[in-house]
Amino acid sequence: MRAGAAGIVGAEGAVAADPARPAVDVPRQRGSTTARWHAPLAVLCGLVLVAATAEIVLDGAIGHSPLIPKSPHIAAWLRSLGGERLGYRVFLIALLSSTVAYVVLIGLARTRTRPRAARERTQGRWAIALVALLSLIVFAGPILISTDVFSYIAYARMGVVHGVNPYLHGPAAIAQDPVFYYVGHDWLDVATAYGPLYTLISYPLAPLGLVGALWGMKVYAQLASLATLTLTWRVAARRGFDPVFALLAVGANPLYVIYGLGGAHNDLIMLALMMAAVALTIAPPVRARIAARAEAIGTPVRTRISGRAEADDRSSPARLAGAGAAVIAGALVKATVAVLLPFMLADRRRARQGRLAILAGGLAALVLGLLAGYLAFGSHGVNLIAALNRDSAFVSTDSFPNELAHLFGKPGVFPVDHDLLKAALALIVVYLLWRTWHGYDWVAASGWALLAISVTSTWLLAWYILWPLPLAVVARDRRLLLATLFVQGLFVIHQTSPLLAPVQ
Amino acid sequence: MSRIRLIETALLVLVGLLLALATVNDVVRQTHVNDRLIADLSTWRHYTDHDYKELAPDQHLLGESTKREVVCGNTAPGPQYARTQICLEIWGPVRAGRRAVHGGWYLPAKTEEDLRRYRYGCFGAAVSEGICSPAGGRA
Repeated sequence: MRAGAAGIVGAEGAVAADPARPAVDVPRQRGSTTARWHAPLAVLCGLVLVAATAEIVLDGAIGHSPLIPKSPHIAAWLRSLGGERLGYRVFLIALLSSTVAYVVLIGLARTRTRPRAARERTQGRWAIALVALLSLIVFAGPILISTDVFSYIAYARMGVVHGVNPYLHGPAAIAQDPVFYYVGHDWLDVATAYGPLYTLISYPLAPLGLVGALWGMKVYAQLASLATLTLTWRVAARRGFDPVFALLAVGANPLYVIYGLGGAHNDLIMLALMMAAVALTIAPPVRARIAARAEAIGTPVRTRISGRAEADDRSSPARLAGAGAAVIAGALVKATVAVLLPFMLADRRRARQGRLAILAGGLAALVLGLLAGYLAFGSHGVNLIAALNRDSAFVSTDSFPNELAHLFGKPGVFPVDHDLLKAALALIVVYLLWRTWHGYDWVAASGWALLAISVTSTWLLAWYILWPLPLAVVARDRRLLLATLFVQGLFVIHQTSPLLAPVQ
Repeated sequence: MSRIRLIETALLVLVGLLLALATVNDVVRQTHVNDRLIADLSTWRHYTDHDYKELAPDQHLLGESTKREVVCGNTAPGPQYARTQICLEIWGPVRAGRRAVHGGWYLPAKTEEDLRRYRYGCFGAAVSEGICSPAGGRA
C-alpha cells in the first residue's frame, strides 16, 4: 500500500488526485548526495545492457551456436564484428549482467528524485533512446534462442504457397519448402496452435520468400513492441504512475529484449492488443478532465459511474466495446490473453452500461474472428480449445511444475499433475475474480492470472513470463511487479547450470 | 481488506520460497548431470582416442533416471554427423574424470537421428539389451 504527494494509490485502487495530470509516481525526496550518483549509475547500467545485448547478437551472428537456431544468414554482415561463436558461458554471463543492470536501473528509476519538468523530459528521452537502441541491436541480429519464427513462416507458406491447411498439418507437409529445414525438430508434425487472426496476419509475408518473411516477422515484432511500449507509457501516465519507469521496466527487460524481440515471437503482438484493451478502458485525458470537473460540481456525466469510480477509468461505451474487441483480437492471436475479459467484466466500479459494452465488443469481435477463421481454415481453424489442450500436455525443463517434481524426488510431471495444476489455476482465477468484484484493481488481477498461468504451466518458455509484465507496471498492486520480476529472476537462475559445470 | 492482503502476501512469500527452493535444487541437480556429461565426453575421447569437440550426448535413450548415457561422435575427422559415427553406452561412477563404457554401436554417415534401424556393429551391453536392429547387431 502506497500513498504519496501526488495522491496515488494503494492496492485497492484509490484515486489519483488529478486525473488529467500524468503524475509522476510517488516522488521521493532524497538528498542531493544520493541523487548525484543516480545519473552515472543509470548510465553505467544502460551501457551494460547495450554491451551485453550487442555481445549476444554479434557472437550469435557468427552462427554454429547451440543458442542460435539454424537460419538463413540474415546477419552475416555482423560476423566481422563478433568475437567467437556464441557459447553458453558468454551468453549466460551477458544474460546475468543484463539482469543485474536491469534491476539496478529500474531500482534507480523507481526511487529517483522528483524531477523538474526539464529533467523529466531529459530522463524520458534517455529511457526512450536506451529502449530503442536495445530493440535496434536485436533487430539487426540473427534470430536468437528459438526456432518458433520458422514455424510461423512455415504455417504461412503452407496456406499461401502450398494450399495446405496449417490447422490440419504440421510443416512436415511441406518438406520440399526451404523453410522446412529451419523448423524445430519437435514441431515438424505439429499443426499450428496460434489463433486464426495471427495466421491471417502472417499470410502476407509468405510470398516474400524465406528471407523476406523472416525480416517481415522481425518487423512485426518490432512494431508490436513499439505499440506495447507506447501504450504502456500512456496507460502508466493515465493511471498516475511514472511512465519512464514503466517504459524501462518493460522495454529494457532482458527477457523481453533477448528472448521476446530476439526470437521475433508473436507473443509481442498479443501483448500489444492486450495493452490496447487496457488503454481503451481508460478515458482519454480531455474526457477524464471533463468527467472529474463534472463530478466535482455535482453534474452527472454521460457515462454513469459509481461512487467508487476512478477518474481515469471513465471511458465511453464505444471505447469499452473496443477494449472487449481488443482482448478477443489478442486471443485470436494467442488464446491466453482471453483471461483478461472476465476481469474487465468483474470490475464493479465500471457502470453496467460499460460492462455491457465490453461484452458486446468482445462478442462482436469473436463472431467476426471465428467467421474469418472458419472461412479461411474450416472448423479446425476455430477450435482453439483443442490446440490449448494439446499444448498444455507438453513439459519443458524450465517449467516450475517440473522443478517441483524434481524437488519432491519425482522424475518429472505425471498426467495427474496436469489435472491438479489446472484445478489450482482455476481456483486462483476464481479467487481473483472474487477480489475484483470486491474492488481490487482488475488490471492487477489480470496480471496475477497471467502470472499464475505461466507458473502453473508445464510448458514454460522465457517469453511466457513476459505476459504479465506490461500489466504489472501499470497495476495498482506493486506486489505483482515484484512477483513477476521474481519469477523472471528464477527463470534466469535456472539457466545457469552450464555456467557452473560447462559441458565441452 | 488489509487482513486479506496480509494473508495473500504471506501466501505469496511461501509460494515464492517454494519456487526458489525448487529452482536452486534443479540448478544443483542439473550441475551434477553436467558433471556426469563432462565425464562421459572425456570417456568417449579417451576410448576412441579422438579429441573431437562435436559430440552428441543422449540422456534419454537409456532412461533419464538411470544415469546411463549414450555419446555419439565421428570415427574420422569432419563436420558433425558427416562421417560414420561410434556411439558408446556409458554408466557407473565417475573415477578420475571418466566412467565405464559398457557397449555401443555404429551409425552410418549423415545420420542425425540415433534410431534403432540405423544402428549396426553393436557390441557389449547393446547386444544383450536388444536396442540394436537385429539386422545390424551381432546377436
